[in-house]
Amino acid sequence: MSYFVVSDNCNGCLSCVENCPANALSYEDADGKRTILHNMARCVRCANCWRVCPQEAIQFQHFLENRWDAVIQLGLVYCSVCGEPLYTAAQEKTLSGNMGRPLEHLCPKHKSADFAARQALFLKKKQSNRETQHDRR
Amino acid sequence: MIVAELKPIDEIAESISHFKKVAIVACGGCVSICLTGGANNADALARELAHPRHYQSLPPVFDTTTIQRQCEKDFVNAFLNIPPDADAILSLACGAGVQTVAEAMETLPVIPALNTSFLGSLDAPGIWREKCQGCGNCLLAFTGGICPVSRCAKHLLNGPCGGSKNGKCEIGEDTDCAWQLIIDRLKVLGRLDEYEKLFPLKDWSTDRGKGPRVQGVDRTKT
Ligand code: SF4
Ligand code: SF4
Repeated sequence: MSYFVVSDNCNGCLSCVENCPANALSYEDADGKRTILHNMARCVRCANCWRVCPQEAIQFQHFLENRWDAVIQLGLVYCSVCGEPLYTAAQEKTLSGNMGRPLEHLCPKHKSADFAARQALFLKKKQSNRETQHDRR
Repeated sequence: MIVAELKPIDEIAESISHFKKVAIVACGGCVSICLTGGANNADALARELAHPRHYQSLPPVFDTTTIQRQCEKDFVNAFLNIPPDADAILSLACGAGVQTVAEAMETLPVIPALNTSFLGSLDAPGIWREKCQGCGNCLLAFTGGICPVSRCAKHLLNGPCGGSKNGKCEIGEDTDCAWQLIIDRLKVLGRLDEYEKLFPLKDWSTDRGKGPRVQGVDRTKT
């Protein structure tokens, strides 16, 4: 991934390297080749390099490109009923560790539906127990 | 860095009410760091300003864009993208940025959405404090690195004034007495004898006395 992009117009004059106020540009001469080096961590995107380049070779718009770079990729855990993404597997590990029990893979909606279903089942059981007791009497 | 705050919404709405399409231009520099002028704020402002409650007739249509630094003319000329049908620019930049964009724009009116507040630094996340007035003649070497010009309410060069109590300025409990800070700091540095020195009258001509200040050599004139 390079943000400092120059066109074929570059003739390696080093004006940009000499005029970068942030020391974000450097160069290496080796094996018969000159390499222009750029360090994004130092670059303040001041565009001085772009201003001074006598060849108009610096494609400064690359610094301004509205581009997203993927930072990391993590596996996801989905709701076992509707398939909605819940959290990452790594996050699940942290959460279940904190809670001391494995997590149910349910989104808030299905968690409450599941709870309501279980509650209904519980009430039904309680009711039928009561009725059996009543019949016995 | 330059710290700015959003103008009251009513004031902004009033200033753009007679335009049909307004390009809101965020700045990617200082004011984006102090959470007032960046891309996020431009979008939030567009949403708020689109609400009909701010206008007598139809609200303008908004478009938002960001330019990395509004205070650099060639940069603005080369990279600012304004829709061709926009009839005004609402700039979320410091005063320098607004003027730079205005100069580059020739015919489009450029309206500020921010009030430029001060040169400050981050005290804690989300809190910026004024630290410098850009007076052009820095005294920090003699004052333990604490600026009396910007941090003493009375800009005293020989202090404290006698009004401070428990290290706080008499203008309010929230304001540290700059001279108390200076004394404390000089003590820590073992340089309290510097406090004995009297500052002569400051040369304020480096401040704004000679009009707008310029730095650098204009190569186009040599
Ligand atoms: S100033 Fe331009 S031509 Fe010279 S080395 Fe840099 S990019 Fe290449
Ligand atoms: S944009 Fe500025 S800091 Fe970055 S490489 Fe160019 S001159 Fe250096």
